[in-house]
Amino acid sequence: MPVNGQVSSGGDFGKLIDLEEGWIDRRIFNDQKIYERELQQIFARSWNFVAHESQLPKAGDFLTTYMGEDPVIVARQRDQSIKVFINSCPHRGNRVCFADVGNTRRFVCNYHGWAFDTAGKLSGMHAEYGYDETDIDKSQTRMQPVAKVAAYKGLVFATFDPDTPSLEDWLGDFRWYLDMLLDNEEGGTEFIGGCIRSEFPANWKFGVENFIGDASHAGWTHDSGARATTGGISFPDIDMENSFHSSVNGHGWEFGTEGVGDIAILGSPAIMEYYEKLRPKMADRLGKMRSQIWGSVASVSMFPNISFLPGISTFRIWLPKGPEKFELRTWVIVNKAMPDDLKREITKRVMLTFGPGGLFEMDDGENWSNCTTVNRGEVTRRQLLHYGSGLSRRVDDHPILPGTVYRGQCSDANQRLFYERWVDLMEAKSMKDLPHRPQPRMTGRETRELIGVSAL
Amino acid sequence: MTSTIEDRASRRPTLELIKELEQTLYREVRLLDQERHDEWMEMLAEDLHYHMPGIETRYRRDKTETLHDLSRMCYYNDDKSTIQLRVDRLKTGTAWSEDPPTRYAHLITNIEVEPTERPEEYRVYSNFYAYRSRNERDEDTLVGSREDLWRREGDRFVLVKRFILPKWSVLLSKNLNVFL
Repeated sequence: MPVNGQVSSGGDFGKLIDLEEGWIDRRIFNDQKIYERELQQIFARSWNFVAHESQLPKAGDFLTTYMGEDPVIVARQRDQSIKVFINSCPHRGNRVCFADVGNTRRFVCNYHGWAFDTAGKLSGMHAEYGYDETDIDKSQTRMQPVAKVAAYKGLVFATFDPDTPSLEDWLGDFRWYLDMLLDNEEGGTEFIGGCIRSEFPANWKFGVENFIGDASHAGWTHDSGARATTGGISFPDIDMENSFHSSVNGHGWEFGTEGVGDIAILGSPAIMEYYEKLRPKMADRLGKMRSQIWGSVASVSMFPNISFLPGISTFRIWLPKGPEKFELRTWVIVNKAMPDDLKREITKRVMLTFGPGGLFEMDDGENWSNCTTVNRGEVTRRQLLHYGSGLSRRVDDHPILPGTVYRGQCSDANQRLFYERWVDLMEAKSMKDLPHRPQPRMTGRETRELIGVSAL
Repeated sequence: MTSTIEDRASRRPTLELIKELEQTLYREVRLLDQERHDEWMEMLAEDLHYHMPGIETRYRRDKTETLHDLSRMCYYNDDKSTIQLRVDRLKTGTAWSEDPPTRYAHLITNIEVEPTERPEEYRVYSNFYAYRSRNERDEDTLVGSREDLWRREGDRFVLVKRFILPKWSVLLSKNLNVFL
């Protein structure tokens, strides 16, 4: 078995990933210096998911989240735009907002009463008489804003780097796939109220790579969940001829074309019936291929740390909290047009299957945790990890499917291409230098830039 | 139907009844800690509702009711049939995260018994401290309070409703493979 050579964690990240033969250096999962570079090179520059528009319907609505380890406030403005800024007071740095969600006209720091409007601009402070006129320019003092905010069909993203490509370019042709989740019915999607958060003693990338392509683990890791929900029947074997991995710019969707596998996991005839009735309309809206893919056994991750299960309706991010720790935040995403009782049924079933106590989710954490911490062993971590499944199954120029396509759902293809993008960002001096992976087919479809836009 | 003060006073729980319900709560968690799930299932009413909401941190001025809103995300929003699925999973022999077995201990405290509108049903409050240990040194503690409804059925009580209020906001654990 190959073992790793000498790689400094200061650069040469390409040496950690062997795409040709499918090997990965274990140090990317627990090395402190590599982790710190990820925060600088990836999280401080990527488009990070910060909210679904439906979470902030009214002016003054806000929520708090993280971009990497940077805490941010995401707030709806009176002009309906959404602003994102760092949740830290420019005076002594104290965290300003402690609520997960709420509605407010201003954010006030507990330490010295510095008050900020919903865009993060300083409006006043306690004991303001301590400042002479020339001491501070209030109009220029604010909680640090992100560089850009943009949305794609309800999903709101932010980046700290002004040179990061537009969200449209960042998503590229992945929008063809994304529309199956976000635009399969008139009215689009919304998040159900609440957010379930849990902390795992594992590296964040294990969550991402599991969802981006790991169809292989389902039949083994989740056998107990499958058998419990079906009265004793294990997952059927994957149809390797009619299933695919597809990757665009490090985002990946692995999927079958049988149309029902993921929906069936929820175990609810009412949900299945809704999607079956919707399917012909979906075909009119998105074309036959996508209406067949929708609902199949599938899982998805978007670079760097967003995942979801189309048809199952769990949507989540894996927030890095150190090389050996991440916080999982999960939501339930549904179509706005669905009747309330169906939304409730989906919510219940998502939590039964993919909540922290879910029949399927329960068995993942222990694997990811042990895949991470075992590498504390000096010699243990010298052995390279095998990512070679499906190396030769690439499909060139698929007539319908955009992206880099591999045949066969049991594969490491999307995982390898995620790590290829990981190397792109770890090594790119400027975000202007990011390559398209692969060259896009789709053009001319604008994602909405939220800054200064008056109506959504 | 509303009960008068006199009715309620006449149903004030006796020491004997309180003791019986306390023993029921202790027996319940002993069955769980010993993984005797089939016997535990027999303690659950057919019309069970087992509910544990997700927890959001909000400012005091924010009066949004989130804890009892079943349209929101909940850790558990189960009836007896879905609890049965969870128990069935443990019995498949392929629930890998339970093999080797997790070591559990539930401590149940602060038990209070109150009469309800129905003479055969009692509201029972309690706190729990659930300790879990796995493999070498995986350790979790889960702390919270519960509000139950127990119904007299012959010579025993069955659990009709359980509302579990967790005291954490971020679950500091990789999963929740434990009944509380």
